[in-house]
Order: sequence, then C-alpha cells, then structure tokens
Amino acid sequence: MTSNGARWALAGAATVTAVGVGRAVARRRRRHQPEREDGWYVVHRGITVDRPVDAVIGFWTDRERLDRGLAEWATLEQVDDNRWRCVASDPVGGGTEWRAEITVDGPRRLSWRVTAGPVAQRGRVELLPAPQDRGTEIRAELRWRSGPVRRMLGLAGGHEPDLALRSALRRIKSLLETGQVLDTRHDPSGRDPKQEQATDRIREQLMVGGRP
Amino acid sequence: MRALCWEGVGKLAVRDVPEPAIRAAGDIIVKVKASSVCGSDLHLINGYLPAMREGDILGHEFMGEVVETGPDVRRIKVGDRVVVGSVVACGGCWYCRTEQYSLCDNSNPQPVFTEKLWGHSPAGILGYSHAAGGYSGSHAEYIRVPFGDVGAFTVPDGVPDDSVVFASDAMPTGWMAADFCGLKGGEVVAVWGAGGVGQMAARSAQILGAERVIVIDRLPERLATAAGRLGVETINYAETDVLEALRELTAGRGPDACIEAVGMESHDVGPIYAYDKAKQTARLQSDRPTSIRQAIMACRKGGTVSIVGVYGGLVDKFPLGAAMNKALVLRMGQMHAQRYIPMLLDRIAVGEIDPGYLATHPMPLEQGAKGYEIFEKKEDGCLRTVLHPQAA
Ligand SMILES: NC(=O)c1ccc[n+]([C@@H]2O[C@H](COP(=O)([O-])OP(=O)(O)OC[C@H]3O[C@@H](n4cnc5c(N)ncnc54)[C@H](O)[C@@H]3O)[C@@H](O)[C@H]2O)c1
Ligand SMILES: [Zn+2]
Ligand SMILES: [Zn+2]
Repeated sequence: MTSNGARWALAGAATVTAVGVGRAVARRRRRHQPEREDGWYVVHRGITVDRPVDAVIGFWTDRERLDRGLAEWATLEQVDDNRWRCVASDPVGGGTEWRAEITVDGPRRLSWRVTAGPVAQRGRVELLPAPQDRGTEIRAELRWRSGPVRRMLGLAGGHEPDLALRSALRRIKSLLETGQVLDTRHDPSGRDPKQEQATDRIREQLMVGGRP
Repeated sequence: MRALCWEGVGKLAVRDVPEPAIRAAGDIIVKVKASSVCGSDLHLINGYLPAMREGDILGHEFMGEVVETGPDVRRIKVGDRVVVGSVVACGGCWYCRTEQYSLCDNSNPQPVFTEKLWGHSPAGILGYSHAAGGYSGSHAEYIRVPFGDVGAFTVPDGVPDDSVVFASDAMPTGWMAADFCGLKGGEVVAVWGAGGVGQMAARSAQILGAERVIVIDRLPERLATAAGRLGVETINYAETDVLEALRELTAGRGPDACIEAVGMESHDVGPIYAYDKAKQTARLQSDRPTSIRQAIMACRKGGTVSIVGVYGGLVDKFPLGAAMNKALVLRMGQMHAQRYIPMLLDRIAVGEIDPGYLATHPMPLEQGAKGYEIFEKKEDGCLRTVLHPQAA
C-alpha cells in the first residue's frame, strides 16, 4: 500500500502542479461561469486513457518519465501512511509556490487540498475501468474559490482552473499513452519574431481548455 | 534552409527559415527529397480550410532521408530512405491501436479549434494549418516528424523518389476510399475526381475486385490519362448528364459504390453551382458539395458513398432524403496512412500499382509558387507538381 500510495500521490502532485501551471496560461479566458456550490466553483472532468488501471497507477513509478513530464515542478514529502505534502512551483507564473496535502483515499481514489497558494483549491481523482476494453477513465472533480482581492485583480475566477484541469488531463493522457507531450511552438516558419509571438498567442488559445 | 511559405490567401513564396530540431524523444528529422502538392493544399491556400497563419510552411506528401533521430526512436535509423504519412499518429492511443490513425487522440497539440468546430479533435496533419496542430510542412529542405517510428516507413530500393512519394497521401487515401466500399468482387464503382486521389482510388477499387470503374471529371487530359493508365471508363460532366449516363451504363441500377475524391471546392456547370459559389465566397456556406450531391443521387439503392474529398464545415442542400430513403451507407474520413502504407509499398515494389505517372511536373523547391499555379489551374496536363528541395 505504501509504495502504491507513493506512486499515486505523485499522480496527485502532477495534477496539482499542472493545474497551478495552467492557471497562468489560462488567465483572462472567461466565458460563462461554472456551477457554484457553497461559494466554491465546482467542475467535473474526465478523460479515457487506453491503459489498464494498474498501468495508470504504475506509470507514476517511472521516475525518468515523470521528470520529463510533470513532476519536475513538485517535491513530495510523506506525512504519514496515506498523507503526503506536495510543494509545487509554477514556472510560468513567476515561480508562485503551491503547497498541497494529498491523501490517498483508497487504491483508486486520491484527494488533495491546497494549503497555500494563489487559489484555494481542492480536488479528487478517481480511476475507473472503462467499458469495452477502452482502458481507464480518469475522473476528476475540482473545487476552487478565490479571495476578493484576487478576484478584483482578475487573477482567479471563472473558468481558469477548469481550463487548466482539462489541459492537465490531456497532458497526463498523452504522457501515459505516448511518453511525450507534443508541442509545435518551435517548428520553423517564415515569420519574423513579432509575427511568431502573435502566432504563439494563438497557439496558446488553441492548446488550453477545450474538451479533454 | 529554404521553405515554401503561405503568405496570405492565394499567396506563396520561398523564404529562408530556421532548420527544425528534435523537440520530443520520438521525433525524427527528414531531409526532404520529394514533396508533392495535393488537392488539400488548394483548400488551405485559398482560405477554405481555416487557421492558416502567415509564414506557415506547406506540404504533407513527401519522402526523403532520415538525418537525425530522437532518443526513443528504435525502428527508424539515420540514413534510412523513408516515406512519411501525412497524418501524425502517436501509436499509443485507442484509435492508433485499432488502426484508425487519422483519429489519433494525442497528435494534435492544438485541439481546441476542432473540438469546438467538430465536437472532437482528430489527428494532427503535417503542414496543414493550426487547426491540425500547427506543424511545419515538407516543402522545405528538412522537416521534423513526430512519432517517427509510427509515421515513417523505409521504402523499397529501386522505386524512384517521384513514385514512392505518393505512398504518403494520394495512395493511402485512394485505397481507403475503395476499402470503405466493402467490395466483394464484380461491383461497378464510380469515382468523382480524376486527380491523384481519384486515380489511386480507381486503381485500388480494381485491385479490390470492382469489375468496372467509371471516373468522372471535366478535364479531358486527366480523363484520358485515367483511361490509358488504368483502363477505366470515363464521363466528362461538362459535356454529359452524369446521372443519366451512370444509369445507362448500369442498366438502370446505378453504381454499387460511389467514391467522392473532389472535395469542398467542387466545380459544376449550371445555376446551382453559381448559387453555391456565391454562398461560399460570401462564407455563408464553407463547402461546395456538388459532387457529393451527385454521388448520392447516382448511387444504387443500398449502395455505399465513400467520401475522401475534404470538407471543413457546413454544406447546403445536402440530399439527406435520398440517402435515407435509398438506405445508403456513407463512409468518410481523413486517411489512416499508417494502416495502409506498408501494404502499398509492397504493391509498388511488385509493380501492382505504379503511381509514378502522377508526378507530371517535377521542379526545384524554388519554383514552388509556380508549381502550385500550374497545379491549381490544371495547366499542361498537370496531375501533381513534385518539388525537389535538394535540387539547385
Ligand atoms: N481524406 C484524405 O485523407 C485526403 C487526402 C488527400 C487528399 N484529399 C482530398 O481529396 C480531394 C482530391 O484531391 P486531389 O489531390 O486529387 O485534388 P485535385 O485538385 O488534383 O483533383 C480534384 C479533381 O476533381 C475534379 N472536379 C471538380 N469538380 C468536380 C465535380 N463536380 N465532379 C467531378 N470531378 C470534379 C477537378 O477537375 C479535379 O480534376 C481534395 O479534396 C483533397 O483535399 C483527402
Ligand atoms: Zn493531401
Ligand atoms: Zn494515437
């Protein structure tokens, strides 16, 4: 359990960091507001990965792959049997630090709570076998709320963590299925640096959010 | 390096651009030897397929030599002479596992546009706009190919560059079109469009068992080439009533399967065409569906309409009633390159299919803009212009 718990906690760390990192990228994209419950924004997002549940959990032990992917932004420290402390920094958001507590709730369930960071956030991830030999459904629930100051600055409200969650799930799927996350940002073109910057902004809009 | 770039609707120019580099562990870099134009490029150049950016490098049907491989690449080696499928596929998702490569879940890093437009994002395609991932294309001295082990295939010795290049796109597309028809032997198959794709579809239908293949176009040279090379029957739609002719050729039944290899810039004669063209120009409809309408009307009851011509958005006056009441099977899609290429290379090697005749206009990359002009206007019997980036 402990070793499985550890792997699994890494998955949580990956999600926390990805959500944190996505925040900066997704900023300023706002459409209709997500559902609210007791002052928390709540979203549910799922993605299907073409790997059995055990392989999805096992994936997180491959340190090298993890480092290449998501966990390079996070450190994990064990608190007790089922609880982990995660410190993640957000390179895009100027090194903002996130601290979160991750709890392994069961062999296929995990939850986390951000204890310090720009947005109050908690989440749950659950793994379910997908029907018809389709692998594993990763189902996530994310709740967040932002203080009045941050809301005023437009830094954390509306859809951002939702968009970030979708991107995170997509990245995790790609890592699990292919070991890589593709990016065409540096492909050659006939653009001058200014045009390239403008194109990168469009790329960002086309990379963030969408349906997972 | 030099590369052919899109510079706005209808405008192309060869520019100096940076060379590509390995960016992910599965990438390979290919030194491009032959890079063909394709009908899809025309939709992109003319602004009918969306999300092109000024400076984008075109080209997705190509072959060349591998000059660099990423750390995870195993099957492909530096020095290999390869042909590369236009569609990018990861090899690791459910769609790839079930050989539906053009539906790959992980190969379009910019999926939001198509998710909004179509509900889900299909695979990325090299040199095919930012809706298809924003990859740089092959009309350049070098190209980065992601998932090199999945997308690149070593080609048989002795097959010329300008022939094997079509195993990249035109051949697998034509093959898939015929494959969709579910032929059992003895069928009559009609093919709209005598371009590279239509001709390869016609040849594939013959190999898969069609007894008669009828190719429809308005360009006499293309029809003559198809008749001469493949031994198909032809109909010139500018001179003949196609529906009437197909009905007569099949003693009233209609073709068992109808393949549409024309796409969204379909041309026609008469007032309905003027209406479609006006609506498309004003962007009130994104696609001109004339040949599809005809294919549906012509197809026998219970037959199959197989669509490989590319469509991007909405069409008007789609004869759904005919399709429904005649119980037609509609199949369509971007081609699953990786599924068909190895088999097609075998068939080229033994001479069963010889696509080399499609390369009517080989030229150096520097003349790319001119090459497209000739291809678009179908001048001088042009079937496909093939650019050679390494030629002086
Ligand atoms: N599905 C795929 O994966 C895939 C791959 C490659 C190309 N394509 C598409 O296939 C289509 C054909 O490609 P191509 O390279 O052969 O193009 P092309 O431009 O060389 O050929 C198109 C042909 O269609 C003919 N045509 C126009 N209107 C017609 C009509 N109403 N009836 C009959 N013929 C008509 C034209 O005269 C021309 O000969 C394009 O839409 C292209 O985008 C699809
Ligand atoms: Zn093509
Ligand atoms: Zn895939």
